Amino acid sequence: MTGVKLSGAEIVVEELKTEGVEVAFGIPGGVLLDLYDVLYKEEAIRHILMRHEQCAAHAADGYARVSGKTGVCIATSGPGATNLVTGLANANMDSSPVVALTGQVPTSVIGTNAFQEASTFTITMPITKHNFLVKRTEDLPKVIHNAFYIANTGRKGVVLVDLPKDILAGEAKVDLHPKETFAGYKPNIKPNQVQIKRVVEILAQAERPLILAGGGVISADATVELRRLAEFLSAPVVTTLMGKGAIPESHPLCLGMAGMHGQVYANRAINECDALLALGTRFSDRTTGWQLDQFAPDATLIHVDIDTAEINKNLPVDIPIVGDVKLALSEILKLLEKKRAKKSGSEWEKRIKKMHEACDSCVEDIPREGASVSDILIKEISKILDDDAIVTTEVGQCQMFAAHYYMTRKPRTFISSGGLGTMGFGFPAAIGAKVAAPDKKVVDIAGDGSFLMTCQDLATCVESDIQVVVCIFDNRYLGMVRQWQELFYEKKYAQTGLGVTPDFVKLAEAFGCYAERVEKPEELKDALNNAFESGKTAVLDMIVGKEDKVLPMIPPGGGIIGMIGTERCKHI
Amino acid sequence: MQTHIISLLVEDQPGVLTRMSGMFTQRGINITSLTVSPCEKEGLSRMTVAIKGSERELEKVRKQISNLIEVVKVVDLGESEAIVRDLCLLKVHVKNSEARSEVMQLAESYGAKIVDAALDSVTLELTEEPERINRFVDLMRHFGVKQLFRTGVTAIGTGAGLER
Ligand SMILES: Cc1ncc(C[n+]2csc(CCOP(=O)(O)OP(=O)(O)O)c2C)c(N)n1
Ligand SMILES: [Mg+2]
Repeated sequence: MTGVKLSGAEIVVEELKTEGVEVAFGIPGGVLLDLYDVLYKEEAIRHILMRHEQCAAHAADGYARVSGKTGVCIATSGPGATNLVTGLANANMDSSPVVALTGQVPTSVIGTNAFQEASTFTITMPITKHNFLVKRTEDLPKVIHNAFYIANTGRKGVVLVDLPKDILAGEAKVDLHPKETFAGYKPNIKPNQVQIKRVVEILAQAERPLILAGGGVISADATVELRRLAEFLSAPVVTTLMGKGAIPESHPLCLGMAGMHGQVYANRAINECDALLALGTRFSDRTTGWQLDQFAPDATLIHVDIDTAEINKNLPVDIPIVGDVKLALSEILKLLEKKRAKKSGSEWEKRIKKMHEACDSCVEDIPREGASVSDILIKEISKILDDDAIVTTEVGQCQMFAAHYYMTRKPRTFISSGGLGTMGFGFPAAIGAKVAAPDKKVVDIAGDGSFLMTCQDLATCVESDIQVVVCIFDNRYLGMVRQWQELFYEKKYAQTGLGVTPDFVKLAEAFGCYAERVEKPEELKDALNNAFESGKTAVLDMIVGKEDKVLPMIPPGGGIIGMIGTERCKHI
Repeated sequence: MQTHIISLLVEDQPGVLTRMSGMFTQRGINITSLTVSPCEKEGLSRMTVAIKGSERELEKVRKQISNLIEVVKVVDLGESEAIVRDLCLLKVHVKNSEARSEVMQLAESYGAKIVDAALDSVTLELTEEPERINRFVDLMRHFGVKQLFRTGVTAIGTGAGLER
């Protein structure tokens, strides 16, 4: 199309459609009237009216993580944009592709403390992959195109476009759908062949190879390649929190999540391996622990990542490969298959099998005191939900119980706030997840503290007919912080008790949701079924032990083989 | 801690300076000098940033700066392979004609130009390597430095230099 005359708002919407946007989560405002006026008539884009901008960002983020497509959120200038900030920082930290459109005061008054003015451009600079402040209507096609291109290529992330009112209202003659981009942005890096060959050499000879799969494996859609490589090498796979789902956790070679709240034997395997292939991970301290001499001390460390800046950032590595994980894995596989036959029956494999069994049986076997049921509830949820169901989490003990005990079977079905650790993420992310996958069951594993941070969006679910089930792990504590106070601050529970209110069942009912209280694990199955059958968004208030602890864990300053609370773990 | 000079080729866009300097701010690294100017290619600017920091720290920032969308190129300029210049304007107090002629002699030996003169002061201009400027300024302090302006370093790779 060449030289059509359109308003800025029309250009934005046209370009959104070209980028394949089908849904946007947002809240309108004064400076966005022109944009919403165009959206009003637009049938190709479903706009979901949220009740808080933070939720709009989290919903777009959840949508992106489930669909792989770029999520879109919209907020007005000033408070709308500042409300988005937490959600954007969260998405960007976890490399989730999101484009945020924010309204801005007219260019003529920018910088004058105009009504609802905030410098969104500068505020969001350090928490986005890139951002734009549009100064001319005719720049819009290029800006919107680049926003989507940048958000969903290379290391994915958040791009914000700040749209002053007069830019949206003004008209310009433009060429739609431009292709031009930035000279310095080269996101599609092919892995270096020499490095690939070195890796193949190492892996072919390793006696105790191990794969550490991070979120990059999922976002690069490299899960099939990962599984093939693991099976070819008979190499066990451990994951990060973000990597949960990169391989089915029921797979005999999967040892589950490693790290601070990971499986004891996932961490052991890291300690014992002689070659560690780390894929799409940034070696966060939540994964490595703090005693780095315990982290793969005897191993050749291989790191594949799309982001050059991650190489040697947290850990010095022996062989770095910068590039797309999917590409790198298929090339490694191709060369390996030529080089030698599939190997199996090694001592390492036998040991892995034992480790796998030890972790699998641990929950049922433990003698337990009092009301400690959180782990049992997660295992139950894991059994009740089908392989395709999507679980999102809030942050805290509930999250780590889920990470430790929930059996993730498919990629993009375990959605959690990894980098930022944002309380209040899980519920709005579940909304986004359900919109991306309307046919799948979506469950938010929530803490009572976290849920209160974003629960107003129950109204969104009811009004927009989006069915998610919130399972509140109701311990009346900011449990994770309380746990640290119990373990490391002599049980001084400073500001972590939540008291007795609210009544979550009544709260949910007030919004028009289905709600039920679950007092014992035995009641969970029926309650979940009732929730799904109600056809409504539902809240299950699950009473858990007030002082349940999520264990084992690596204590602060500890290393991956220095976990505490391993009494319940089987020794092999 | 060593001084490093990083030369950046960036898109000439509002905000690009903030983005770049933010990378240093986030890590608490102090920028000792910074110059921004147009370059041989239209639409692009060149930034020369001098910082003090460890090799490891620098390596991390350098990679993160290259990740910025508007940064086209980042080059680390080791001092041995670069021509580094700083421009200094200096107003020196001269209390009598003896002082004046001494200042002028020293200026000449350093290759500094006299760009202005008043009854009790002379203004000197010196374009040189930063170290030599430091020494010159130290000498002038002996007479009394009323005002000192420095542009900060700019640097160019020797030979094939920047195009590495
Ligand atoms: C927005 C936000 N504020 C504070 C924290 C610090 N924090 C981490 S876990 C936690 C407690 C979470 O409580 P709850 O949601 O009830 O989950 P629980 O740990 O009890 O399962 C807090 C306050 C955080 N992660 N995010
Ligand atoms: Mg709680």
